Amino acid sequence: MKVGFFIGCNTAFNRPDLELAVRYAFPRLGVELDDLIGQSCCPTSGTMPSIDLVGWCALGARNYAIAEERGLDMITVCSTCFGSLVRTRYYMLTNRGIQKQVNRILQEIGREYKGISRVRHATPYLYKEIGLEKIKEAVKYRLDGLTVALQPGCLTLWPSQLQADKENDPFHPQILREMCEALGASVPGYSRLLDCCGMGAMRSTDMERSFYLAERKITSIRTEINPHLIVTGCSSCLIQLDTTQEFLQKRRRIYYEIPVLHYMQLLAFCLGADPEAVTSMSRIRPDRVLLDLLLRYQ
Amino acid sequence: MKTAVEIDVNSGIGTAVMPKISHSRGYSCSMLNNTQPFSEIFDPAQGQPGLIQEIPELRATKILECTQCGKCAAACPLVLSGFSFYNKRVIQTIVVGFKDLILNDSSIWACQSCNRCTEVCPMGVDPFEIMLATRRMAVREYALPTTAIEGIKSLYDTGHAVYISEAGIPRKKLGLPETPPTTTTYHEALLEVQTIMKKTVLAELGLIPMGVFGITERL
Ligand code: SF4
Ligand code: SF4
Repeated sequence: MKVGFFIGCNTAFNRPDLELAVRYAFPRLGVELDDLIGQSCCPTSGTMPSIDLVGWCALGARNYAIAEERGLDMITVCSTCFGSLVRTRYYMLTNRGIQKQVNRILQEIGREYKGISRVRHATPYLYKEIGLEKIKEAVKYRLDGLTVALQPGCLTLWPSQLQADKENDPFHPQILREMCEALGASVPGYSRLLDCCGMGAMRSTDMERSFYLAERKITSIRTEINPHLIVTGCSSCLIQLDTTQEFLQKRRRIYYEIPVLHYMQLLAFCLGADPEAVTSMSRIRPDRVLLDLLLRYQ
Repeated sequence: MKTAVEIDVNSGIGTAVMPKISHSRGYSCSMLNNTQPFSEIFDPAQGQPGLIQEIPELRATKILECTQCGKCAAACPLVLSGFSFYNKRVIQTIVVGFKDLILNDSSIWACQSCNRCTEVCPMGVDPFEIMLATRRMAVREYALPTTAIEGIKSLYDTGHAVYISEAGIPRKKLGLPETPPTTTTYHEALLEVQTIMKKTVLAELGLIPMGVFGITERL
């Protein structure tokens, strides 16, 4: 099995440890990754989408065209990339006029958008294509006894009508929970599970308000379930929840810290990756939690 | 460059000022206005007629279906964190015709693109699409935050809206190539992205130096 790896800006430049985790985990589950050479930004909604729909679609279509030339679907670990690419595909496939305009632009660079390839979120992709049983068999280290809090990531869930691997009920998401349970973790719910983390456009527009959302979320997680880790499906949530805790501590808004991992980092660890490498950019070190787990296997 | 709206000089919108750092409650924050902007009562008769027609032209076609039921607002992170112009209110402000109110406020630029509103809207309005169309309207008045311009410039210059030139160091430490296999490694790929961007409205707007229409980077 082969799939294109759509890396995304935040993963490539802010969290290369997450990129490493994906490159470690996928082949070990029997999925070969293609680099989609020459890929660009998805593009994210503050850029072309805020200027022009056809321009947005054209940049998205170029990324799709790279995947199509290889006959592959794409996976991404970023909800923003996922959401942008899901939308551009929807616009081009439901509006022939847009697709025509896009292809006229792509002609200039010798590419064409055909509408074959899909973008898929990495976690639901593994859930559907590999399945929980095979993942259970492949892991070296299990997470029994570990409690994790989930942060699925907005665009992983919504708009569900446009998604290929959608949840049965996006307001009660199961995929990430089952994926964590397959690794042995226990995954209790908490009241603000579906709340936004505050990353993205809000953080660049108004940090105070963005941190307010993060604080609500983290406080709910801590007071209701006090987990060892927060596990997210989205690279933006990862950055937001990892970096805001330091800030909230300085402001004396919280008096604790909870390490945050992307599911792919946790999976890579369970498959045998060096825990320090696949979490090397984490501000809040998950070492104690992960090394404790490893000690059981000594 | 036309400016159809009076822009508050302190708002940071449409101007190249540095972000204003305020220390309210100790957070360093807020380069833009998003305080509750109006205490006076507005006379709907003063609204610009026909403003609503601009929105479908900017590709959000279902605005007229909105019944102002408020489901989108109930789901919206902008509401939760206290921004003035969230989905439902943006729609109604456009219906009534007060463009400046929206353009003088940063709310539309804080939209998380989370699509919660689109998920819950019972009328199939796709309010997120309206948020984007409203941004497109603002861009055509050059009323956009500097962070947005920086993102667009970065996209044009590197192929990535978020680009960190020092990322090569941690990448190398992890055994990854210093640059990812993207436009940052393949120059011809970057040229393709630039060719596409030059073919869009962006070039006509002249927001960033693109080597077209005589607008180039001044050193
Ligand atoms: S949910 Fe839909 S119909 Fe209701 S206010 Fe929002 S956009 Fe309008
Ligand atoms: S997409 Fe924007 S307007 Fe809609 S719910 Fe999310 S933040 Fe609010």
